Amino acid sequence: MTAALEADGVEVWLGRRATSRILDGVGLTAPAGQIVGLIGETGSGKTTLARAIAGLAPLHAGAVRVDGVPVSGLRGAELRRFRRTGRVQYVFQDPLRSLDPDLTVAESVAEGLAVRGDGRAADRRTAAVAALRLVGLDPALGDRLPGQISGGQRQRVTLARALAVGPRVLLLDEPVSALDAANRNHVLRVLDRLRRERELAIVLITHDLGSLAGVADRIVVLHHGRVVEEGPATQVLLAPEHPYTQRLIASVPSIDGPRPIYARSTT
Amino acid sequence: MRALHAVGRAALIAVPVLLISTFITFGLGALSDQNPAAAAMGETATQADIDRLNHEFGLDRPFLERYVTWIGDAFTGDLGRSWFTHIPVAESIAQRLPVSLSIAALALLLAVVLGASAGIGAALTAGSWFDRAVTAVSAALSTIPAFVAGIALIVVFAVLIPVFPAGGYVPPSQGIGPWLTYLALPAVALSLDSAADLARQLRTGLVGTLRENYVTGAVVRGLGPRRVVFVHALRNGAGPALAVLGLHVPRLIGGAVITETVFAMPGLGQLATTGALQGDVPVVQGTLLVAIALVLASSLVVNVALARLRPGSGRTV
Repeated sequence: MTAALEADGVEVWLGRRATSRILDGVGLTAPAGQIVGLIGETGSGKTTLARAIAGLAPLHAGAVRVDGVPVSGLRGAELRRFRRTGRVQYVFQDPLRSLDPDLTVAESVAEGLAVRGDGRAADRRTAAVAALRLVGLDPALGDRLPGQISGGQRQRVTLARALAVGPRVLLLDEPVSALDAANRNHVLRVLDRLRRERELAIVLITHDLGSLAGVADRIVVLHHGRVVEEGPATQVLLAPEHPYTQRLIASVPSIDGPRPIYARSTT
Repeated sequence: MRALHAVGRAALIAVPVLLISTFITFGLGALSDQNPAAAAMGETATQADIDRLNHEFGLDRPFLERYVTWIGDAFTGDLGRSWFTHIPVAESIAQRLPVSLSIAALALLLAVVLGASAGIGAALTAGSWFDRAVTAVSAALSTIPAFVAGIALIVVFAVLIPVFPAGGYVPPSQGIGPWLTYLALPAVALSLDSAADLARQLRTGLVGTLRENYVTGAVVRGLGPRRVVFVHALRNGAGPALAVLGLHVPRLIGGAVITETVFAMPGLGQLATTGALQGDVPVVQGTLLVAIALVLASSLVVNVALARLRPGSGRTV
């Protein structure tokens, strides 16, 4: 079966020399209906990989395919046409800078539909309201500007905007970092439900390993631009093989001591 | 609604500013110790002439009473009469205002077109030779005063390569072509500083905005480059540039005084200069009042434009 998202041997260089390489032959596969957690320290290349998949960072080598279609070779008008289908959506890390401060929440959420030419303005507004409801937001927020809502609400608006266009692949960069525990769980439950109902392939980048524990099917560990470990979420979280992954998981703060997450989960 | 709010707020500020500035203008005229007899008759004026003309022009009344009468009359379009020619000041201003407004408006248009093109081009090609050239040329142009630029333009385009007249003015009623020909050099001279400032502000604002996630997100959603720049980036990046342009409007109106002198144009600036040299206080006060009103009106327009352009500015939870 063809995976919704396949990235093979992805290399991204900052400059012209090999020493500027930030991703070194990275591979990542996200089948439809699965959530793939992407973990690693700051600077390990997680966001660059997401940007490369979204076509925002030029590939030095490798390929990205969505539903088997190579998209990393698309350029100009062809690339814009593909982007307008909304098949790949990217939710950025910083919710404050992710929304145009002069567009209302509803305008932002409906923009992807407008660009694609979906329906009339009223239909797009209805779709925007539905997307806001989906992420647990009051549709009345649709008339507000981003400066008039909280950070957590902004984060959910960016998620609603991505979901409104019906994507096949969702790239989420720290999507719950600005949310309190209750809202974080709500959003994670929504993602868990959507990936099954809509056959969504989700790449979830996070520092918060706890948020992956219940929802991720697979986990990919990046270190210095390379995949050092990959496997089913329970296996990576409970029995990490690579020393870097073990250190990463052991460093998760705990209220009852510095025990690793897998040790706590088994007690 | 937001625009109406902005108009209301700007008007609330404009009224006291108008009253204070006109009070100062009128006060300076009163303090200048000029009188109509001296202005019209010079040293031959006798004390009797001075007293008679002072009475005729109401200068023997208390200062505050004169100010209230002057400002009240001004609102009905009566700015008094010239002490020198006895021609109503409003009539002289009405004759010369189109000249100054033509120069200032064309200079503003040139500043916006040149400044916006250079600023947007530089931001979209940040780090390129074009960007560096725009930065260097803008920095150089903003150090050149309008009168120096004016003289240089006359030397090059009226003397060395005689394609434009060195001075003078023809109204648009005599043909748009000749009108623009006479306006071209003074308008260019006046616009260079504003265009340079606008280009630099726009470049800086846009470079920052183009890096914002919502602009990158718009690219990911498949928006074309034009929509990305004009809908998302320009609206957010142009706020400071528009504010700077608002600050330049008074300079364009004030700068027209110097430009009119260099290019021998019969505008408001020349009227004020002649009035000041002749000690014709009503003419100077009248032209200043009109200049103040123009500046306040332009400020109002800029505030409304900013409110419409940036509904999200200044709003927080």
